[in-house]
This record gives sequence, structure tokens and C-alpha cells, in this order.
Amino acid sequence: MNSVLRGAMVICALLMLIFVTHKLRKSQFDTTDSLFWLFVSGCLLIIAIFPGIAYFFSNLLGIQSPSNFVFLAVIGLLMIREFTIQTQLAQLRRKTAALTQDVALHRASAISSSTSKGDK
Amino acid sequence: MSTLVIIPAYNEEACIARTVMELREQAPEYDYIVVNDGSRDSTAQICRDLGFNLIDLPVNLGLTGAFQTGMKYAYTHGYDHAIQFDADGQHVPSHIADLVAAMDTTHADIVIGSRFVTERKPASLRMLGSNLIAAFIRLTTGTTIKDPTSGMRLYNKSIIERFAVRGDLTPEPETLAFLIKRKGATVVERQVSMRERAAGESYFTFSKSISYMATTCSAILFSLWFRR
Repeated sequence: MNSVLRGAMVICALLMLIFVTHKLRKSQFDTTDSLFWLFVSGCLLIIAIFPGIAYFFSNLLGIQSPSNFVFLAVIGLLMIREFTIQTQLAQLRRKTAALTQDVALHRASAISSSTSKGDK
Repeated sequence: MSTLVIIPAYNEEACIARTVMELREQAPEYDYIVVNDGSRDSTAQICRDLGFNLIDLPVNLGLTGAFQTGMKYAYTHGYDHAIQFDADGQHVPSHIADLVAAMDTTHADIVIGSRFVTERKPASLRMLGSNLIAAFIRLTTGTTIKDPTSGMRLYNKSIIERFAVRGDLTPEPETLAFLIKRKGATVVERQVSMRERAAGESYFTFSKSISYMATTCSAILFSLWFRR
């Protein structure tokens, strides 16, 4: 692996860490979110420092260039992240719907009891 | 000095009646509130039938959300203390008075009902997680907490306000570490006894335990330094 690529990976990992700590400071990231980015930047750092790991896996998978393996691995991680986010999003949609309905139904029942009082 | 006992409950139809009745019997001088966390069973119905004080969340928020709800209630109603209390019968109500007394004498911000102040901690796999968390808390804050995962925690007025106003504090050891290190909170422990869960199912499966340990340790070792 080209040493420029390795240098770039180290810089990316550090930039990712700085970004995450910035978000944490502003309370815009939860601990669980930051854990994922910590893991990714840790992996990038490890592969940059020990490129032998990338060589091993790219040989195993029959990928010609170890840097291609790195790209594949990052894409794979992002897809996993995408699945997790999608699951959370579906859950949030359902919760928002349930909350909206709950509020609306509470308002509705208040109206009907006042009209029935009016009837008397 | 008024104290609110906050009882988050999710699917606890098997234990909730027994827990609240025992609480009312052994510690009648304290106000309590059951926070139903969108249970799918008859937890809320049981509470209504038996006339328990109930906050009924329309959706499930998890322990953190349910506990925060209780803290917001404590804050808006001006309580001086709020204590976290399990719905499953593990906590013994007669110890609440001990914790309140400890807070009055030591003026600590948080008093933890700890199983291991005078009793020895068993060296089991279950305690491995607790030991690891305690070690990390000692490493980052210098404070020794023998039972960091104990859910029986008494909070004072300033901490109640923090929980109510911020969205990001949890009833977990990582928040203890954050409050000690970044907000100068004082934490003391007092010996209490706890029982095994009376009935129903624990939340913690193996995979949930692993993920709990991962997020807790990452929060104590990493996020702690950057949160404000």
C-alpha cells in the first residue's frame, strides 16, 4: 500500500475523531453514535499502521490491490450503518405516528364530552 | 424535604402490584410515581385498577426516557429528592430512609444504594462487568464506586434539575462518571440489601449485555472528556 494512502488514512481517522468530539461537545451526538465512528476511525488507523492486515484479506478474497480491500471494507461498514439507521428510522416513524394519534385522540374525546353536556 | 420515588415500568404486570403495595406499606412517607413505558401488557391497567399514581407514556422510550419523565415530574413539582426504584421487586423500600438520611448528613448530590459497601462483592461473571465499569470510573474520575450498576440511586435537587433540563443524562453509571468529572457532583454509597427479581423477565440478554458494556465503557473512557 502506497505510503501516501496510508498517510491519508491516518489523517482521515484523526479528522473523524475531531469531528466526533466536536459533535459530542455540542451534545449533537449520542454516545452510541460516536461508538460507531470511533470503531471506524480505529480500524482505519490500525490498517494504516499495519498494512499487512489489508494484504492478508485482499489475498484471501482474491482482490488485486490492498487499497481496493480498504475501500470495500469501508463501503461494507457504511452499509451496515445504513441498515441500523433504517431500522431506527422505521421505529421513529411508528413512534411519531403513535404520539400524533394519541394527542389527536385526546383532543377528540374532550370535544365529544362537551357536546353531550350541551345536549342536556 | 420531599422525596419522590420514581418507578419506571415496562411489561411488569407480574410484579408491579406487589412492588407498589410493599412500597406504600414500608415507606408511606414518600410520594411515588409509576412511569409506564408503553407496556404491551396490563401494567397500566393494573396501576389504574389499584389506584396507583401513574404517568402513562403513549410510546416506549426505554429506561432512560421513562426515568427522565419521572425527573421532569419531580422538577416541575418541586421535589427536593428523587430516587430511582425498580418495578421488579429487587429494591427494598425500607432502605429509602437510609439513603435520604445519608444525603441529609453528607450533603452529597447522589447517594447510591450499594450492595457492596460492607458486604463482599462476589467474584462472578455477572460482577465482571460491574468491576470493569467501577475500574473505569475510578480511572477517569478518581471516585471509587463499589456498585456502579445499582439502580437504586437518590438524587438531590440540583441533579433533578439537570436531568429535567438536559436531554442526554441517563440512569446509568456513565452519567455518574460525567456528573462527577465534569459537573463536580459528589457521590456516596450506603449499604442496602437487594433481592432477586420477583417475577417476569429481565431486560438483559447476552447480546444486550455486551452492547451495554460497549456503550458504557466507551462513554466513560471517551465521550466523558468532550461532553459539556
